[in-house]
Amino acid sequence: MLRRFPGFALLCLFVVLFALFSVFSRRFLSAANIEDILSGYSFMAILAIGQAFPIIARGVDLSVGSNVGLGAMVLFDLNMIFGLPGYAAIPMAIAVCALAGTLNGLLVTLLKLQPFVATLATLAAYRGGVYAISGRQLYPELATQSIRDPWIRSLDAYVDVGRWIGLARLVKLPSLPLSFIVLVVVAFAAQTVLSRTRFGLDLKTVGGNPEAAHLAGISVNRVQVAAYTLSGLCAGLVAVVLVARFTTATEATGTGMELPTIAAAVIGGASLQGGVGNALGPILGAFLLGITLVGLTLIGVSQFTQQILTGLILLGAVWYDRATWDRQQAAAARNG
Amino acid sequence: MTIPTDRPQRSERRDFLKSVALGTAALGVSMAGPEVLSSSIGRAKAATGKNLKMAFIQFMPHTVPAAWSKGIEDVLSKQGNIDYQLLDGQAKIEVQISLMDTQINDGANIIFLQPVDSVAIGPSIVKAKRAGIPVITLNIDAVEDHAAHVEMSHYAGAMDIAKTMGGAMGGKGKVAIINAPPGIIIRDQRTNGFIDGLKKYHPDIQIVADQPADWDRKKAQDVFTTILAAHPDITGVFGVNDSMALGVVDVAKQKGIQGKLIVFGDDGEKDALESIEAGELTGTQYTDVYQQGRFAAAAAVVLATGGVDASSFRAKGHLLIPYIIATKSTVGQIQPNQRW
Repeated sequence: MLRRFPGFALLCLFVVLFALFSVFSRRFLSAANIEDILSGYSFMAILAIGQAFPIIARGVDLSVGSNVGLGAMVLFDLNMIFGLPGYAAIPMAIAVCALAGTLNGLLVTLLKLQPFVATLATLAAYRGGVYAISGRQLYPELATQSIRDPWIRSLDAYVDVGRWIGLARLVKLPSLPLSFIVLVVVAFAAQTVLSRTRFGLDLKTVGGNPEAAHLAGISVNRVQVAAYTLSGLCAGLVAVVLVARFTTATEATGTGMELPTIAAAVIGGASLQGGVGNALGPILGAFLLGITLVGLTLIGVSQFTQQILTGLILLGAVWYDRATWDRQQAAAARNG
Repeated sequence: MTIPTDRPQRSERRDFLKSVALGTAALGVSMAGPEVLSSSIGRAKAATGKNLKMAFIQFMPHTVPAAWSKGIEDVLSKQGNIDYQLLDGQAKIEVQISLMDTQINDGANIIFLQPVDSVAIGPSIVKAKRAGIPVITLNIDAVEDHAAHVEMSHYAGAMDIAKTMGGAMGGKGKVAIINAPPGIIIRDQRTNGFIDGLKKYHPDIQIVADQPADWDRKKAQDVFTTILAAHPDITGVFGVNDSMALGVVDVAKQKGIQGKLIVFGDDGEKDALESIEAGELTGTQYTDVYQQGRFAAAAAVVLATGGVDASSFRAKGHLLIPYIIATKSTVGQIQPNQRW
């Protein structure tokens, strides 16, 4: 059963790396460190799941990072400038991000732009929007103040699961950051959508073969727009998580997140050829990047070597994935 | 946020005294050398039985943090029982937060920090304090109180830049500021110092543009080209760091307006000093950044070995490093081994 899980090799690599770091650094397997990895990379995993939708639909969303920045700044402005309490501002910020995702989808479907080009354009445009609406530039006195809203601040919470289930007496378990719980909910919802709904099936059909999907009576455009909207929705959730963590929104929030999320999604088995992917792989992909960075720092490897090693691990993982795919294709050709 | 220029004299004085105390302690350590210190450090080592750990989390790779790191290593390497690591924040606050977390878990004794954002790093500093780890910020202050802050005298330095620059412009004309991104206190300090300096010494000079170029030479070239198109009659530019000022010099050279443009930077890196000697950049605020790193490291050694807990610091010590305004006539005073 486990072998059928598309990311089996990835899971093995993850376990091996995890074990290696645990052996080489005593601190790595500590509850506090696991906590930090969870809180430091859950948001990347949420974005990677979002990213998987356009990728499965044979597209890509380069604008996720800028979209996160946009959502964060909208939340900051609504709360700090307009004094809106968190319970009103948070849904509005998430809605803005989802709409920004919808716009990406419309550019790809209605204007028939290449997803790469369309979202590259919105990457720049959304980031420009962040600067234009930045409450920290419009009202310089806000730049060095932190958000005090209890609704937003309370989102940077940790849940002590160990004490809940009564295991705390036996072993020190990491407290789970709220962002990880959001991730679990998102992953569960996304996996359900992908594997158990009509939309999930349509999405894979559209990504695998758009013409065939069209002939089968699937509204290709609608499916694609939905895929980008979901990516935007995930960006909105991440924006809220990050603002809670930072207690402010910076103009640079989300900068450079697009490539790691694409890498995580692809490592996690979402094929850039379209049509293939699941919601759990991207999570493994994101945390693989996370444990690599944290583990190498704890072992004391210099930052430059870290970047080289991270690159090599990425290459290795993608190469393995590709090789497996080729083998499967060859096997399918032989059998067919 | 504005700099409290009208702060009551007394608190100013208290800050100054605290700086002097911290500075003296710092100097004491750096002068004392290994022989004197080894006894106390030896005890600390015997007590814990292992090396102390210190790390510097920089903003991004740049000449300034590289020189601090060298200064820090100068002092720490002499102690013989301190493991030191330079970590890269990649100009991303989430990366810095993650690195802070890792250091806190790893049981670091001191964290040196050049924050990417003065507000967003706050929760991490609180976490470090809770774990009893003193945080020492370099140049970019954090809103959250921490053990110590060692800076280049941003406000006073920028005021002096305004004074010298206005003099070179003949007390009149239009200037542009090529600024840092918002959200970091250094931006306010340098900008306000410059604005207040112009108001005080050269009230006829007008600031017509103020745009961020993210500390970056290339970005500054683009930003200044745009500003120049809108205000061709600009005769002075203040780049809030040297990299950005040198970007402005690049544009001036290319457009052939070098003779007409007075350009000042801030920091005093080697490239800027050479540019001043070549007659391109007009001037900069020079600080011996190696020395700044040594000061921070010396304070760190005192904090880490003196049995002082970070929670006992209710407010940070503020240490301002002396500077000179380097122009063509003064740049020769800066010795080769002080250039970074």
